[in-house]
Amino acid sequence: MSLIVSRCMGRMLCRQTHVPRIFVEEHCLTRQSPWSNTVLTLHTSAPLRAEPKKKKKIDPKREHVARERLKKRLKKLEKVPPELIPIEDFITPTKCLDEARGRSEPRLPFEESERRALLLKEWSRFKHAQHTAEMEAINLALDAQREALEELKIESEELYKAAIKPDPLVFPFSHEGPCYTPPKPKYDAPDGKYHDITKVYTQ
Amino acid sequence: MSAPVVKMAGRCFHQLYKLSNSAGRLASGKTGIRQFSGAVVQNAAEPWRLLGAACVQRLAVISADQRPLEAKFSELMNQMELERSLMSDHELRLLDDKERLRRRQAVDYDSDEEEEADRDQDIVLTQDLEDAWEQRLKGFATQPRARGVVDVRLERADRCLAEPLLLLTQQEVGPERLWLLPQTPWEAGETLKSTAQRALSATPGLDLQTVFLGNAPCGLYKYRMPRSVRDREGLTGVKVFFFKAVVSGPLPPPAPSSLWVRRSELKDYLKPSYLEKIRPFLLNL
Repeated sequence: MSLIVSRCMGRMLCRQTHVPRIFVEEHCLTRQSPWSNTVLTLHTSAPLRAEPKKKKKIDPKREHVARERLKKRLKKLEKVPPELIPIEDFITPTKCLDEARGRSEPRLPFEESERRALLLKEWSRFKHAQHTAEMEAINLALDAQREALEELKIESEELYKAAIKPDPLVFPFSHEGPCYTPPKPKYDAPDGKYHDITKVYTQ
Repeated sequence: MSAPVVKMAGRCFHQLYKLSNSAGRLASGKTGIRQFSGAVVQNAAEPWRLLGAACVQRLAVISADQRPLEAKFSELMNQMELERSLMSDHELRLLDDKERLRRRQAVDYDSDEEEEADRDQDIVLTQDLEDAWEQRLKGFATQPRARGVVDVRLERADRCLAEPLLLLTQQEVGPERLWLLPQTPWEAGETLKSTAQRALSATPGLDLQTVFLGNAPCGLYKYRMPRSVRDREGLTGVKVFFFKAVVSGPLPPPAPSSLWVRRSELKDYLKPSYLEKIRPFLLNL
């Protein structure tokens, strides 16, 4: 076993030494310049030859990759989380925390506190009654509409279908609601002046 | 959990009540409700004349007066809010001025003790500012809320601004002239909503801008013809479909044979059975 291995190793070594000799001989055969021997023996480098450095194809790729790596590192450094825009309403202005603005707490007499409690209870009863009345009225109105639609369906299918269709012209619906005083006829409202001081934040 | 159960129970009772009511009315007379016995009768056999009617409302222009309870409660709320609030800049200035006046009018007033800034200053009292503002407010004249003279005239659309009004027109139904919501017979080839719109535009002298709220009818009134008419013309009865509309734009001038009526006054002009059918969709709150 060991003999075979040593013979193989010997053959490989011989082969190795073989190859360069042939290669060198070939090289000698192709180059037939007067400088051939000296060229071969002298170790040339770029400054000696005074030629621009040869750019191999791999170099631009490598440079590109290096640049990208640097850029990534820069981005990571610059990645600061954006400053949140403060919500003005959530920040209590310091004016409100001034103690001098507090009112003296009045001591309510017993009758006054009783009156208030009773009035609040009466109000809740009133509002509850109002709410149930509203719900009842809405249900009655819906029943009336349902009945009308049923009767219409019995009468004629096409009219029923036309009634069921949603009306696109109704929305957007706007109506100026009740004010405290009636509108003045031919009243020319003066233009108001205002100084807009809203803070605009940019991220 | 109990609330929806109660509501459902209420609804069931209401429906039962309605059914029993309708059964009772059948026995009594003209305004018969058809029995839903399962057999749907065809159009040709029992023709019903269809009418489209417009229920036009002029909504409230000013807010209604507060009831006594509401007035008391709003006053209480204002009081409580004032007690729980902090003093504003204006109030602090008022207090400051009072303090300064008190100091100036004190017996041992020494003007040298006064601070540099305040010494040469004439006190422009905040009270004076308040008076000036009040004068300016008084200089602006508003329209009065209550106008008793106008409220009495029924043909004016600008009466009773605090309440919604309903438009009634006088129409011939059979042998009589009645006050009804504007209605007109349906013609083939149009929807019932356009019939209602036509009914409105056909009212003489009425120049109105309205918005019809949707394509679906909001209510129904039907009645059977007396037997003589039924036999003569082959017409079983009449069905009137109501469509809701709201006045938009400027209020119209008074027109002949048209009235603007409050809900409380409706019973003076409409027949009870008719009013019964109209009330639900008027949301009598």
